[in-house]
Amino acid sequence: MTDSSSSRVTYEATIERIFQHNVDTRSFFLRLRSDQHLTWKAGQFLSLLLPIAGGILIRPYSIASSPEEGNLLEICLNLVPDGPGSQYLFARTVGETLRFTGPWGTFVFDQPPQAECVFIADGTGIAPIRPMIRRAVAGESGPPLQLLYSAVQESGLLYRQEWEAYAQVCPWFSFTPLLSSPVSGWSGLQGSLVEYVERRYVSGDGDRSRHFYICGVGQQVTQLRDLLRHAGYQRRAVQYEKW
Amino acid sequence: MAKLRILYETGEPEKIIEFDPAQAPFQHDGQPGSILDVLLGHGIELEHACGGNCACTTCHVIVKKGMAHLSENSETEDDLLDKAPGLTPTSRLGCQAVINDDDEVVVMVPRYTINQQV
Repeated sequence: MTDSSSSRVTYEATIERIFQHNVDTRSFFLRLRSDQHLTWKAGQFLSLLLPIAGGILIRPYSIASSPEEGNLLEICLNLVPDGPGSQYLFARTVGETLRFTGPWGTFVFDQPPQAECVFIADGTGIAPIRPMIRRAVAGESGPPLQLLYSAVQESGLLYRQEWEAYAQVCPWFSFTPLLSSPVSGWSGLQGSLVEYVERRYVSGDGDRSRHFYICGVGQQVTQLRDLLRHAGYQRRAVQYEKW
Repeated sequence: MAKLRILYETGEPEKIIEFDPAQAPFQHDGQPGSILDVLLGHGIELEHACGGNCACTTCHVIVKKGMAHLSENSETEDDLLDKAPGLTPTSRLGCQAVINDDDEVVVMVPRYTINQQV
């Protein structure tokens, strides 16, 4: 064992509640063992140690709750058909115990930058961004904050009521949902997230002072990174996490 | 056959693995044929909190020999290394650095990671 391995702490938590967001997305609320305490930053993830096939499978899950919420941690994930980690978790029930290490990750949001902030999430990529936005809107009013949230259909816009409520009470926060394949009746934005970002933040104006926090699954995240950086946004002003 | 030699900044004994790069992947985490893949596939632990998905820096290694035999860094890897403690000009993420040739690569596992905020 290396020094870093031997010094890491393994945590235990009980599944206190399971919330079904839609047909294949669930949140698991994990109550940390009472003698353990976890301190983390908005945006970090837990590394779950899943006993699968006679071994331990390590799978990362972003923390969707806020650091201020104490020892009740929320993770939010999709059921992936060929994903042993999500299949294991979707077979769990309330009262069962999970083990994990953490917190991990450098995609974090400590203090809002003194510039317009754009959060871009796709599907369950909202998980690490949720505590970031909660932190950002908890402060006094400042530069504009935007959430651009993409999903396939409306049911994939997780925590939607929360975003709409923030937009009501925080004049500096705006919520823009975008669907890639809406069913009939959707009157909001639809189409490609990358194309929308190009229209709004690249060809839309010459302002290159914005800061971006991007999270999603797959190549779309790095496409957005490349689009924004090549358009002239500062490298370190385009933060992202690709799962 | 390729050879991967692992040194530890903590001073624990080095380990040597001989392997055929064409047989990769050796397990399921990290890029096939990566330093992480080779290590885990031969029973040697290397921290990889994100599951080898290039989303953290816990598999940071410092290449002491054989940089030319490794795949090139991606921008994502460079962005993460930017935040790694103890960054050096020959730092790589074990989950991304694929050993391409039948030659010797020597890496050092650094002592600490700052990812864990406890």
